[in-house]
Amino acid sequence: MTVCPPLPGSDRRLRVAVAGKGGAGKSTLAGTLARVLARRGHRVLALDSDTLPGLALSLGATAPAEPPLLAAAEKGEDGRWRLKKGIGPARAVQRYAIDAPDGVRLLQSGKHTDTGLAPVMGAVNVFYKLVARLNEPAGLREWTFVGDLSAGPRQIAYDWAPYAERILLVVEPTWQSMLTARRIVRIAATPRAVAMSLVVNKASGQPDVELVEDFFGMSALAVVPADDALRDAERSGLAPIDMAPHSPAVAAIEQLADALAAGSLQA
Amino acid sequence: MKIVVAGKGGVGKTTVAGTVARALARDGHRVLALDADANPMLGISLGVGPEETDALVAVRQGLEDGNSEHEPTIEGFVERFGTDAPDGVRLVVASRIDQFDPG
Repeated sequence: MTVCPPLPGSDRRLRVAVAGKGGAGKSTLAGTLARVLARRGHRVLALDSDTLPGLALSLGATAPAEPPLLAAAEKGEDGRWRLKKGIGPARAVQRYAIDAPDGVRLLQSGKHTDTGLAPVMGAVNVFYKLVARLNEPAGLREWTFVGDLSAGPRQIAYDWAPYAERILLVVEPTWQSMLTARRIVRIAATPRAVAMSLVVNKASGQPDVELVEDFFGMSALAVVPADDALRDAERSGLAPIDMAPHSPAVAAIEQLADALAAGSLQA
Repeated sequence: MKIVVAGKGGVGKTTVAGTVARALARDGHRVLALDADANPMLGISLGVGPEETDALVAVRQGLEDGNSEHEPTIEGFVERFGTDAPDGVRLVVASRIDQFDPG
């Protein structure tokens, strides 16, 4: 596990990625957490590695039809995608990240089009090249990263969030969700040790929380309740923090931000 | 008939597929339920049981372990790697990501 030494003025920096089964609420959590942290003074870069839509909606950002990162990609003589000369992580964030509310910046992978991924493969490829190098540049040292991984264990298997110092495992109180999350835990332990925290989502009561905590044998860092206001926000395609700022679910994510920022977490 | 269920994560693909498979089997169809998700959970919706589903051997893993390098027929695959689910449904899991694999 790579941990950058703390630097003056960077004590508010966090590096997290959100993982879990499809529909568990990864994007909703990542988008809302990014906005909350930005409101508390973090410089936040949101990283969307899903090739399906999601994080931009939860952030309340408008993503252009064509992925901005396409402009950063070119094919080399060997026929492989590469970053154009002179473009590294810091410059890519400066040029190709999208503005989201509260000052959050959003860097997106290419998204599936009506004809599949082929038209955006350049953006998908250079996104991963950039993500692998996010811990390098001095220009991003003080940024907080909040990553949204695509569903299931696949992206964890390929270690597609190498910037993350902690993975937030979003788990619904269902067996499908719990078994998927357990696979993620097992796989994530293989390439490099990374801290894992459990977030129980869509909990309808204490028995739901206990079901998940007993299954994993650990207590949850946060419990986000099942919340109609959040469902309404998703139905209307608006960011939960804009549409339901005082809802119990958003309040729970604010508490999660406090717990993460307190820095007292055990790895 | 041959049916494929698709959709975004969490919308209920597995629940629909598993229940349709059971309903068709009860109507007298011989049903092969094929779980092609790299995170296979169809067994849960079919009624095989959560931990039992998690422990199923996928075809790809079975082949890599050398259980059947030269299985020549599809029927042989279904027989060798399939699992019985309620109502006579036969479940086959294609593949499962369960270890680190730097792609």
